[in-house]
Amino acid sequence: MSTSSTESHIVPIQRTIAVLGNPNVGKTTLFNRIAGIRAKTSNFPGTTQEARVAHVKLKTKREEIESVLIDLPGIYSLHLDLSESKVCAQVLDGTSAPAGEQAQVPGTLLVVIDATNLMRNLAIVGESLAKRLPTVVAVNMIDAAQRRGIHIDPNKLAECLGCPVVLCSARTGEGVDELIAKLAQAKVSDRSAPTDQAGIERWAEDVYAAVSMPSDEHGGFRDDTLTDRLDRAFTHPILGVLSFVAIMTGLFWMIFKLAAIPMDWIDLWFGSVGGWVGSHIPQGAIHDLMVDGVIAGVGGTVIFLPQICLLFFLLALLEGTGYLARAAFVIDRALRPFGMSGHAFVPLLSSHACAIPGIMAARAIPDKRDRLATILVAPFMSCTARIPVYVLLTTILFPERPLFQAYAFTMCYALGIAAGLFTSLLFRRTILRGKSRPMALELPSYRIPDLKSAFLLTLDRGMIFLKKAGTMILAISIVLWWLGAYPHSAPTDAADDLRAQAESIVDADESESLYSQADSLDMRNSAANSFLGRLGTAFQPIFAPLGYDRQLTVGVLASFAAREVFVSTMAVQVAGSDDVDDDSVLDSIAYATNDDGSRIFTYGTSWSLLFFYVLASLCLPTLVVTAKEAGGWKWAMLQLGWMSLLAYVSAFAAYQIIIMAGGT
Amino acid sequence: MMHTDTQTDIEANTKAVPLTKLTRGQSGRILCTESDADDSSMLRAMGLRPDASIQLCRLGEPCIVSLMGACGGGCRIGLAKDIASRVMVQLDDSSAH
Repeated sequence: MSTSSTESHIVPIQRTIAVLGNPNVGKTTLFNRIAGIRAKTSNFPGTTQEARVAHVKLKTKREEIESVLIDLPGIYSLHLDLSESKVCAQVLDGTSAPAGEQAQVPGTLLVVIDATNLMRNLAIVGESLAKRLPTVVAVNMIDAAQRRGIHIDPNKLAECLGCPVVLCSARTGEGVDELIAKLAQAKVSDRSAPTDQAGIERWAEDVYAAVSMPSDEHGGFRDDTLTDRLDRAFTHPILGVLSFVAIMTGLFWMIFKLAAIPMDWIDLWFGSVGGWVGSHIPQGAIHDLMVDGVIAGVGGTVIFLPQICLLFFLLALLEGTGYLARAAFVIDRALRPFGMSGHAFVPLLSSHACAIPGIMAARAIPDKRDRLATILVAPFMSCTARIPVYVLLTTILFPERPLFQAYAFTMCYALGIAAGLFTSLLFRRTILRGKSRPMALELPSYRIPDLKSAFLLTLDRGMIFLKKAGTMILAISIVLWWLGAYPHSAPTDAADDLRAQAESIVDADESESLYSQADSLDMRNSAANSFLGRLGTAFQPIFAPLGYDRQLTVGVLASFAAREVFVSTMAVQVAGSDDVDDDSVLDSIAYATNDDGSRIFTYGTSWSLLFFYVLASLCLPTLVVTAKEAGGWKWAMLQLGWMSLLAYVSAFAAYQIIIMAGGT
Repeated sequence: MMHTDTQTDIEANTKAVPLTKLTRGQSGRILCTESDADDSSMLRAMGLRPDASIQLCRLGEPCIVSLMGACGGGCRIGLAKDIASRVMVQLDDSSAH
């Protein structure tokens, strides 16, 4: 190996260090300790597996080693028929690498094992030794092990394994410097472990017996009664559900309450940037593109970033405590009758912020059919982009009655969940026939979560969201803006008449009001004559049974790209202003009238729209992510078709029932 | 373990019982898992291998077992009842501990 440098000066050497280990051994925390914040998450090409990758300089006394650190997915064995096991095995063989890295046999293998669960963890060490790579073994969580009365002799372990062994704690930082130094001295073990599974198990038992201190044999290890009590409470049929509901309520309360503050900042910031750009770019197509297309579109997406980041941060903290594994079993009981497993918990929970990270989180579901069902169901969960639409419609339905608004709001969430469960039930009986796979899940020890790891994960997820959804939404916003802005219409005669009238009036207020009436008329006219407006006219007959006129049809059509566009599209069409923060604008949408003078948002159409927006697949980026994660556009098309069908039928039923009951 | 009653003690020496037949606090040694190959190898990799000694911490949905003794006592695994019922265990007789 080129690392055995004889020179005394610092030699830069580049090599790959693969970090391998069981799930829940603190591997990522240790990785973050070594790599700091410079890591990024990359996919393994052709799979949904991902790894964190960091380019770091590991400083030792004699040399500075430029290293590529790869945090592999946590696995129990290299030989399981699971995508994560295969990916790890391929990386060790040098046949696969995260996107952007060159596939090569790693120069060093860092195997992280859990000191509190040494024997089982030794199995993967045995499998690693068979790879004949320079190896270092980090025995992590040594602090927790010591508290439990577990003593491990590192020298004996190093002797048994034939490679350097470091006792460390990623949480406290203990032993990490020594580990970095040892990484430079990694060598191929001169020992070998058996290759068959039974042999490895016996070998692990022997090694364990040799390295654990004999003083612990008598009286056994301190039994963790607290863990036992907490586990029984958190998985209890009643107590478990109650604590689950309490924790989730707290989580959502924080997501909605705390995120509101940065969301307001973002809103203000984009508003002022829009204003600044608007005043610095001369009027014309580029001005409109920048202000109405780019800034409004990107702003409309970025505004959800605080909620998404907060969700991931809190979820990471919750996962760090060890609670999520217990919660998965609680939710498993509820989901199993509908054909999903407890593994769907995190994806469905995340989908309440945004379906995109939710669908991406479905990667962790081991069974393929379970995973597909979860992906197809995820967009039914009410994401934050639906909130502006829910707010508008519930306000229109129950003006000045906040309690009823709240009921209607809750009903929307419940309806989404119910539709999701129904969908899963249906698909698991037809195209994804079969029962969900029963869960077997390690229940990690309860711990104080690592803030740094949670923060880094949040940063990462936030960036992925911005890149994935941001680029897409940007493109869609530009296209939508173009469709809505072109072709330009000449000022109408009616508007010209108003303007002429305004000119002859002396009273400034009155003439101002006439001018704005004229502008509003022109705006509505050009909205009607734009490509989008014409599309609305063409598609209106399809939506007529749901009670939608041309303008609502345009709003719905525009929403196919992203549903939150509905409110601003309606504002542009009916009010001639897209400043929806203004209460008066919301009112003008609520009381907007059709071309023939009747109200657009009647009781019937509002309910119909509410059902439609809960159930319809109105988000292009979600479809793209579904196609990618489910492995084909047919799944995205199925999702689109099924959600549209369900939305159309429900909205139709709601409207027709209200009409029949004599409502308007 | 001390919680075993004499009835199960007699059975323990003669035959394998599903994990779900244990009572809370009882321990035993795994003989085999009677599920499909994928599940079996997954469980085995998680530590539920033949001859491993385990203790039942919670019976129900889910069952919680603790891999103990040689394993350091730090490993708890939650199992859907359906899986747990396929894990065949030989009960420890009370003198073994």
